[in-house]
Amino acid sequence: MEKTLARGCGVALPEQVSFLIKSGSFLTACAAILYVLLAADYPAVHDTLHNFRHGLAIVPCH
Amino acid sequence: MSLKTALGFLFIVASAIPALRAGEPQIYFKNSPPVEQLRPFYDPTTLSLLVTAADGRPVTQGWLEIRLDAPKPSGFFSTDFPLVEGSRLLEMRLPLRSGRAEWTYLFPIRGKYEISVDFVTAEGKQATRTFSLQVREHTNKWTFLGIFTLALFASGMVAGRIFTRASRGAKDKLVACLLLSFVCSGSSAALAAREEYSGWLGVDAATVGKPTRVHWRLSENGGGGRPRAALTLTITHLEKSKIVFAVERLWVAGEFSMDFHFSDGANYRVLASAEIPGYRTVRTERYLSVTGVEPQVAAMLPALSFFVAVIAIGLGVGRWSKKAPPG
Repeated sequence: MEKTLARGCGVALPEQVSFLIKSGSFLTACAAILYVLLAADYPAVHDTLHNFRHGLAIVPCH
Repeated sequence: MSLKTALGFLFIVASAIPALRAGEPQIYFKNSPPVEQLRPFYDPTTLSLLVTAADGRPVTQGWLEIRLDAPKPSGFFSTDFPLVEGSRLLEMRLPLRSGRAEWTYLFPIRGKYEISVDFVTAEGKQATRTFSLQVREHTNKWTFLGIFTLALFASGMVAGRIFTRASRGAKDKLVACLLLSFVCSGSSAALAAREEYSGWLGVDAATVGKPTRVHWRLSENGGGGRPRAALTLTITHLEKSKIVFAVERLWVAGEFSMDFHFSDGANYRVLASAEIPGYRTVRTERYLSVTGVEPQVAAMLPALSFFVAVIAIGLGVGRWSKKAPPG
């Protein structure tokens, strides 16, 4: 996708900037997923992962 | 006088100091199983207290006022029950029988518990002691946390390698396999004995985070007052099928009450069974659903930050491994 964009727009990002953007997006996605899995109180997710949360010893639950 | 003799003398004097506090009753504490085997929400622990008079014999009259406090919040990470941390778990008054009082309790979290005990007689408070008890976390929980952290690190590392552009002419040799598996109001029935006495069991609305009043009493028999009874009170966590609190054959004057902190938002059964000499056993039972309270987001931040940081470190290591010149 990065190559297609570069070809289409005629610009290519420096490698470090490209890495930073991709890493930032990846970390944001991971943080959101971890929040839903380990911290959110949606009943379906919470009930399914209740024992998993307690099993990690440092994740607060009720 | 040699140094050895002086040290020996000092030791004897130090050992004798408690005995010098003449007339003051002594309170001793014992738990079974021993501290090394205690784990949170695992097996109930039998806690017993012994009170002896100045002459070393168990006292015959009196009560123990017992308060159990949960470990205080400590360190960066919370336990899995943050609302329990630093709270009062139990407050009750137990009568002494042959100088002893005993109860069963299931410790909910890891950490250092404090048990404050006051020995009280009709004349007032006679002695006070505070005991502490360290409960360690399950080893398998730490192992599981380690595996989960490693999985996050590995996912970060793989992503770091993918996001790093390979140098010209180099072939991508990446085989990644990530496997994350996640294992992951009460009704009451009372009265077995309908002859002369009946029991009443009251439990206030229970919410995690604060103690709840548990109150049991026998009916009065035609104005004759409440009889003495050997009360067995048991609180059971129904989902885990574990006894979280129990006192057995506690001689009470027809009534008993205590403050109990239900540490988990789940269904519980409170069962009171009273043996009255010359009468049938009075059994009173109550089921209750404890309202769970979700911990605040602030309590979750340390763990979430830690996991994201592990992934970020993985990303850095992945990039470094891709960039590092071979050999």
